Amino acid sequence: MTVTAREPGPAADADAGNPDAEVPWRRLHVRVVVVDVVVLVLSLIPTAVTMLVFHLGFDSFSIWTAIATTSLGVLGAVGDLVRWWRTWYRVTPDRVEQRTGVWFTSFRYVPRERIRSVDSHARLRHRLAGLRVVLIGSGEPKPSFRLDALSTAMAEELRRALIGAGDRREPGPAAAAADRADDRPLDGNPLIARLRWSWIFYNLVNAWAFLVAGFLLWSSFWAFQLVGVNLADVLAKLVDWRDLGVGWSIAVAVGGTFLLGVAGHAVGFVKDNWGFELLRTRTDTGTALLTRQGLLQTREVYRDDARLRGIHFSEPLFWRWAGLCETEVISTGLTGWSAANEPASSILPRGPIREARRVAALVLPDGHRPMEAPLTPHPRRALLRRLWWAALVPLALAGLLAWSAALGGPPAWAWLAALGLLPVTVQCARVAYRALGHGIVGPYLVLRCGLMSRSTAAIDRGAVIGWTVRETLTQRLLGLLTVRVSTAAGYRFYQAPDLGIAQAVAFVNAAGPDLVGELLVPANRPPTPPE
Amino acid sequence: MAAMTQALPQERAPALRPPRHRVERRAILLWTLNAIVTALVSVGGLGLTYGLWEASRPYVGPLLAVAAVFAAVNILAMPTWRYLVHRWEFTDRAVYNLDGWITREWRITPISRIQSIDTKRGPLQALLGLTTLKVTTAAKAGSIAIRGLDARVAAEAAERLTDITQDTPGDAT
Repeated sequence: MTVTAREPGPAADADAGNPDAEVPWRRLHVRVVVVDVVVLVLSLIPTAVTMLVFHLGFDSFSIWTAIATTSLGVLGAVGDLVRWWRTWYRVTPDRVEQRTGVWFTSFRYVPRERIRSVDSHARLRHRLAGLRVVLIGSGEPKPSFRLDALSTAMAEELRRALIGAGDRREPGPAAAAADRADDRPLDGNPLIARLRWSWIFYNLVNAWAFLVAGFLLWSSFWAFQLVGVNLADVLAKLVDWRDLGVGWSIAVAVGGTFLLGVAGHAVGFVKDNWGFELLRTRTDTGTALLTRQGLLQTREVYRDDARLRGIHFSEPLFWRWAGLCETEVISTGLTGWSAANEPASSILPRGPIREARRVAALVLPDGHRPMEAPLTPHPRRALLRRLWWAALVPLALAGLLAWSAALGGPPAWAWLAALGLLPVTVQCARVAYRALGHGIVGPYLVLRCGLMSRSTAAIDRGAVIGWTVRETLTQRLLGLLTVRVSTAAGYRFYQAPDLGIAQAVAFVNAAGPDLVGELLVPANRPPTPPE
Repeated sequence: MAAMTQALPQERAPALRPPRHRVERRAILLWTLNAIVTALVSVGGLGLTYGLWEASRPYVGPLLAVAAVFAAVNILAMPTWRYLVHRWEFTDRAVYNLDGWITREWRITPISRIQSIDTKRGPLQALLGLTTLKVTTAAKAGSIAIRGLDARVAAEAAERLTDITQDTPGDAT
C-alpha cells in the first residue's frame, strides 16, 4: 500500500517541491524521558518495600495496594514515554504542526496567522527537570497545542518565534475596539434602563414557587428545632385540620405553600434587583454595557461592546401570553447558560416585551431595531411536520403502554389516557408553528423558534462562523430545510427550523453572499455531476 | 457512477450545488466494518441477555428484533447510501461539505474563521489508508469533519487549506 509511505510525520517529508520540507521535525525535550524513568523507578518503591522490607507475600492485603500504586505509576510513566516517542512538532514559516498518537494518530496544522497566545506552566517534576509545558492557543476554547514538555530555553524561543514577531499579524481585538470606540462617542444619556417596581409582579409567580417554599419550610424547621420548637406541631395546631376535611386541607396546604413561595420570590427579587440600572459606560478599551444591582451585595457586570454580537429574547410559554420576556446579549466570552447564578449575559430582569424592545434598540450600537421587525413566516408545510410529531408522540406512547399492559405492567386503560394527550400535542404543534420566523434587518440575522420557550435571536452577520443546512427524512418529503448559524458568542448556534427550500437558500445567500454565492446554481441549470 | 448520481434526488435539493469531490470508495468498506462492530455490541449484548436471562425474554425479545432490523439496515444500506451522499470541496473562501444519509447536512465554514486543521485516523482507517480531515472554528457547531478521504489527498488538502488560511486575514471572533 502506498499510503504507509506517506504517513504524516517525519517520514513523509520526502515530497519534493514543498518549501517546508527542510524544516526539521522536533521531538519534545529528551529530559521528559529522564523524568518518566525516574517516575517509573519511584513507583516501583512501594512494592519493593513491602516485599523486601516487610517480607509480605501475595496473600496479604497490603501487597495488593502497593502493587496497584506501582502499576498506576508504571503505566503512567510508560504511557508518557510512548507519548514522547510518538509526538513530533515543527514551526514552519507559515504554520505550526504537530503529530501525535499511536493507534489513533492525528496531525494538526495551525496557520501562524491564527496563533493568539503562547503560555507555559510547569508542575513540580517539570520544574525540577528544567522543563515547561507550552500551550499554544488560536482563539479556540481549548489550546490548539499542548507541548509537554520543552526545556525552558526552547519554550522561550518558541514564544518569541510565535508571538514576538507580531508585525505580520493584525492588531488585536482590543485595539480594534478602541478604534470603534473613538468613532462612536458616548452620546446622550448613558442610562438605558432602570428598575421599575411594577416588574416585581412579573417575577413572583412561577413553578419554582413550591420549591422555594419547600426549601424555606425545610430550613426553618431545622432552625426552629435548634431552639426547641417543633414547627410541624405549631402548624398542626394553627388550623383545625379535622374540621376542614380532606379537600380543604389540601387546598389550604397547597395555597399556603404557594403564598410562602411567592413571598420568598418577592424577597429574592428585591434583594437581587434593588437599584437595578443598565447603562453604557466608558472603559479603558472602549465602551461597555454595565448592570448594577443588589441590596445586600452589589453586583456589577461589565460587557465589552467590542464583543457584542447581538441580542436574544426568550419568552417562556405562559409568560409570553402575558407579554413578558427575558433579555440577554449575545456576546463572545459570555456563555448564555449558568446553573449557579443569573448569567452575566442577562441584561434585564423579566419584564414587559415593550420595555425589552426599547432596551434592545438602545443596546445595539447602530440604531437598527431587529427585534421589532416583522419576520417572514415559514411555509404551512412546517405546521404539517409539527402535526406529524404531535400525532406520533402520543401514538407511540399509547403503543408502548398497550404493549407493556399486555405483558402485565400498567393498567389496561393507560394507553387510552396517552391518546387523550392528542388535543394537547396538536395545540402545541400550532403554537410551535406560529413561533417560527426569520428575517434580515440591516446587518442582523433574526431567527425565531421554540415551543416551551420562544427564542428570538438577532445576530450580527459578521459574527457567523459557519452555516449548517439540515434535511431530515420528513423534511425531504415536505420540502423543508433547517438553517443553523454557528457563532462564537452566546449559545454557540442559533437556528431557524423548517424554512421552505427557496427561503432557506435566499436566507443563506442574503446573509453571506460573498461566501455562498459561488456555491449556488441558477435555478434553471441542472447541477453538474461530480468528478 | 454518473448514472447513479442522476438518479439521486439532487435536483430537488436547494439550489446549493453539491460540493465537487466524492470521498473514497473504500469508505464504504470502512463504514460497513464500523456498522458491523456496532451491531456486534448492540445485537450481541441483547442476544446474550435474551439467551441467558429467561425472565427478561418478553421484554428483550421485541427489542432484539428491532435492534436486529436497525443493524441490518445499518450494515447493508447505510455505507453505500452515505457514499452516494458525501461530498466535499473548498474554495478560496469556504470549506463546503455535505454528509449524512437519512438526514443530510450541508456545512459551509468561512476560511477566515478557521482556527486549526487536523487529519485523524484510527486503526481501521489506517488499515484502509483513509483519513478524516477536520476543520475547527471557535464554535464547536461550526466545525466540519470530512470522513473517508484518501490519506494522501487529506494531507495535501490540509496543507493547501492551511496555506489559504494563512493568506486569509483572520478574525479573533
